[in-house]
Amino acid sequence: MIVWAAPAHRPLLRQPMTLLALAWLGLVALGVLLAPRLAPAGPSIVDPAHVLLPPGQGNPLGTDFLGRDILARLLWGGRWTLRMGALALMAAVGLGLPVGLAAGSLGGRTDAVLMRLVDALLAFPGLLLALAAVAILGTGLTAVAMAVGLAAAPPYARVVRSIALEVRGQPYVEAARAVGCSPWRIAVRHILPNALPSLIAFAATQLGWILLNGAALNFLGLGVPPGTPEWGLMLADGRGYLRDAPWASVFPGLALTLTVLAANLAGDGLQEALQP
Amino acid sequence: MARSRCASLYIGRYMGQRLLQAAFVLWLASTLVFFALLLTPGDPAQALLAASGATPEEVIERRAQLGLDDPLPLQYTRYLMDLARGDLGYSWLHGRSVRHMILEQLPPTAELAVAATAVGVVLGLGLGVLAAVYRSTWLDAAATTVAVLGLSTPTYWSGLLAILFFSLRLRWLPSVGEGGLRHLVLPSLVLGFALSGSIARMVRSRVAEVMGTPFVLAARARGIPSRRVIFIHVLRAAVGPALAVTALQFGFLLGGAVVTESVFARPGLGRLAVEAIIWQDLPVVRGVALVGALAYVLVNLASDLAQAWLDPRLRALA
Amino acid sequence: MTKRSYAILFLSLVSLLVSQSGCGAPAAGGRLVYGLTLSPSGIDPHINASSELGIPLTSVYDTLVYYDPATQNFVPGLAKRWEVSDGALVYTFYLRQDVTFHDDTPFNAEAVRFNLERITSPDLASQKARFMLGPYERTEVVDEYTARIYLSEPFAPLLDALSQVYLGMASPAAVEKWGDEYQLHQVGTGPFTFAEYVPGDRLLLRRNPDYDWGPSLYEHDAAQVDEIEFRFFTDPATRSPALETGEADVMGEIPPQDAARLETNDDFRVEAVAPPGVPLMFLLNTTRAPLDDISVRQALLYATDRSAIASAVFHDTSPAAYGPLTAGTLGYDPAVQGYYAHDPARAAALLEEAGWTDSDGDGLRDREGEPLMLDLYLMGWGYMPEVGQLLAAQWMELGIGVNSQIVSYPEALEVGGEGRHHLMPFSLSSSDPDLLRKFFHSQATFNWAKVNDPELDAWLEEAARASDHTQRAVLYSSVQQRVMEQALIIPIRDYVNLNGVSNHVEGLRFDGRGWFPWLIDVTVKAQ
Repeated sequence: MIVWAAPAHRPLLRQPMTLLALAWLGLVALGVLLAPRLAPAGPSIVDPAHVLLPPGQGNPLGTDFLGRDILARLLWGGRWTLRMGALALMAAVGLGLPVGLAAGSLGGRTDAVLMRLVDALLAFPGLLLALAAVAILGTGLTAVAMAVGLAAAPPYARVVRSIALEVRGQPYVEAARAVGCSPWRIAVRHILPNALPSLIAFAATQLGWILLNGAALNFLGLGVPPGTPEWGLMLADGRGYLRDAPWASVFPGLALTLTVLAANLAGDGLQEALQP
Repeated sequence: MARSRCASLYIGRYMGQRLLQAAFVLWLASTLVFFALLLTPGDPAQALLAASGATPEEVIERRAQLGLDDPLPLQYTRYLMDLARGDLGYSWLHGRSVRHMILEQLPPTAELAVAATAVGVVLGLGLGVLAAVYRSTWLDAAATTVAVLGLSTPTYWSGLLAILFFSLRLRWLPSVGEGGLRHLVLPSLVLGFALSGSIARMVRSRVAEVMGTPFVLAARARGIPSRRVIFIHVLRAAVGPALAVTALQFGFLLGGAVVTESVFARPGLGRLAVEAIIWQDLPVVRGVALVGALAYVLVNLASDLAQAWLDPRLRALA
Repeated sequence: MTKRSYAILFLSLVSLLVSQSGCGAPAAGGRLVYGLTLSPSGIDPHINASSELGIPLTSVYDTLVYYDPATQNFVPGLAKRWEVSDGALVYTFYLRQDVTFHDDTPFNAEAVRFNLERITSPDLASQKARFMLGPYERTEVVDEYTARIYLSEPFAPLLDALSQVYLGMASPAAVEKWGDEYQLHQVGTGPFTFAEYVPGDRLLLRRNPDYDWGPSLYEHDAAQVDEIEFRFFTDPATRSPALETGEADVMGEIPPQDAARLETNDDFRVEAVAPPGVPLMFLLNTTRAPLDDISVRQALLYATDRSAIASAVFHDTSPAAYGPLTAGTLGYDPAVQGYYAHDPARAAALLEEAGWTDSDGDGLRDREGEPLMLDLYLMGWGYMPEVGQLLAAQWMELGIGVNSQIVSYPEALEVGGEGRHHLMPFSLSSSDPDLLRKFFHSQATFNWAKVNDPELDAWLEEAARASDHTQRAVLYSSVQQRVMEQALIIPIRDYVNLNGVSNHVEGLRFDGRGWFPWLIDVTVKAQ
């Protein structure tokens, strides 16, 4: 039945999809934490005699093109994927938050200049920006995380700015300014706390974008070192065998897609839950 | 619909402002491109000649010929002046005019971008409206999940799956290449699906907002059937933001095209850019980055102006 | 009519019918779609360096001489015969007089001079052709059909260079007419004309009806198919599907696992061609500890199981390599096969003797507190990442640790030049063993092993100047053995180009370089 009402606060408990998404993320985190217990042999046991085995005895998800157990790699690889995602997110927020906050709170000249800078970066396709960053920073996990984080920062700054602008228009903020609080103080003490929920929600969706583009860099061969059990790299490696050994790419692909999906859904759901 | 002079002046000033901003952004972007690429490690001249057996002296000679050893301010000034004339230089790898190379790749890129955008907008609008109108029901969950799925799947994977299924298994569509509508179907579906996610998300939130406004309530109170209300009033509110998001995502199209072009063996700017980045063919990288930035700025400018034109507040002034 | 005439008439009619029915015989004419793998937008053979461009263009241009892989000798092409004189510094070519370019201008000595001057002019910024000419000085037009090339030093690879598409003869009129855009309108003398080129999308070749001056290596006098369309498939996973759906009739560089599947399909076959050159090999930096110790280097070689790599990564489509040249290269010395068979016990013994033991039980050997960790820099192509992973795993079993990272080609050159690496792989194809000079001469660009051996230098330099086959073979044999004795490289496998071919295509043959097909002989069966 059609809902003729403005979006209202919808508590998490009444959002089945979001709960599912959070549950999946929890499962991933659990798997990643328990990797040493569940797959003590590690992700790199190469076995040329048993390459591309289908899921079965001893290899619940099959083996990859070098005979490594895929489940073990997924569990250990979660660490790499999530570490890259976390680093990149920190970079994106670390770069985007101050810029967006300053632009939205201080307004005027600062806003204009900062936003033009952000626009200039936004003008480049995200992947190309990340590629260029990798060309400069080199490869490896940190470099890739920095590169993707850099590419994710401009949209984040933009969103932060618009949220900050909205909050700035609130009566209590106007009051604070009337009283004579410095703009920075207002920004940090009033705007930021109120914007936080929306920022967190947006960050969750950004995580999805970050994971995908990190994986894309691996696909292009410019990412983490070969042999790293990062999901995107596993997907790229297994892709060439899609017809003979689909499990080599389907499982990493599913892991990646489901996690990104969950991050996106959770972000959206959180947004609705935190709606006043 | 007569417009008061007030409105025209406002629009004129707004346009002027936006144009100036756009120009500034372009200058910033070109400067960023120039300096960023200088920081890449490795020597482009050596990369071009090493495998052919050039001696170190010949490499040095080639560096000088490419102007790589000139002082930075000189290189930058030359670069800006060339840009002003529309001269993007010559590719180090291919020896051809960068502008020609880019112009050649524009039609297929534009073709894919337009087709993918069409797919993305239609799909995004549809899913977003469905999700918002039937909010909090299973329809919402389903539509949202489908939309976000597009956002969540790596195109190099979904693309290959699409080829293997539709092309190889079902033999419905050609898998690769360019040359007509049939070749466009799979790539634009794959790319458009990925695009639809963000559009759907934006549409969903906007439509949800509009659904509760007094305006809509009044329309229903007047007895207008639900379907009409939705299609005429609610959708109209959704189209604006949908286009805004599409414009923002335009950059994504050029970047996402990189992978799609590779998987579907299509020519385009994405592939040109990746090859240039790998080989440090700086003139081409700069050229593509700048063209991409230019396109992005223009598209967003157009979308901003269109929104300003359509803005009901402006209409009210008339 | 008499009975005899009836008989003759009847027989003639029958033979006429039989010859026209084409039962099993390939019909002349038809169209072919050929899949290329790179998407170069620059395909001027005088300027650009990719081997990809040679695949179509070898049939658009003729060269002065041709290389016959069967006899390992050069046969006449556009030059009917030639003389080498004055201590191998002067090459005189007597040209054919019946050759015209596709634009109907005549081919003559002036055209040869024009082409060579174009290639060597600094303005062109040639990336390969120019350097293939080595110590070239100038060309003299002796008379209308005689051209003389002067070198400043003897240069054995000259004929080989002149037999390659990069030194193909282009029409001076067309070059002058089109200038910078000549690439899009190339004019040669070959069995196919350059009909159309849309960069990144397709390249079209059309049969040259006037062609009849092909070298003896060609089986036919003129092209058999009417048109060949080249398309570009940069993503390896899409190559086999394109072949199987019929969108391409020939496809190069099919991944090994797809090749295995194609072989079982009755409609297709796989033609494996091994281009000569340097195999996929890992160069060991002899100036950086611990690889400055030859025992450690040899241990690495003994620890490497090449056949496991050949089967796991390449699905047995590539032969293992044992030395710095592939088995099909001119001057290959089979004696290298005797070095360093897989022997983990011997590897362990060598390491122990050198002082590398696992004193702290962490699985990694160490000496004086330093763990045995090697820095491996890989590029993202040519299966280097996959091989690197397998090698690292094999060595890990012997307590050798590997720290690997991916770098771009320009960065790899920088790393290699500075010697920051322990190991770096590479492979390169070339028909002349002079290629070894690029890797093992102390002044060479790819001297990533950082070798500085005056004897090696002398052998390489002498072999580059010598024109006697036997003499060169002896010299290169010494080079190969020295490289292996000194454990400068870990050879892995000879590159094999797996071409997928639809069974209605026949006559596909590749030249001595392994990369370039003689498209003149290709026929397409009417379906």
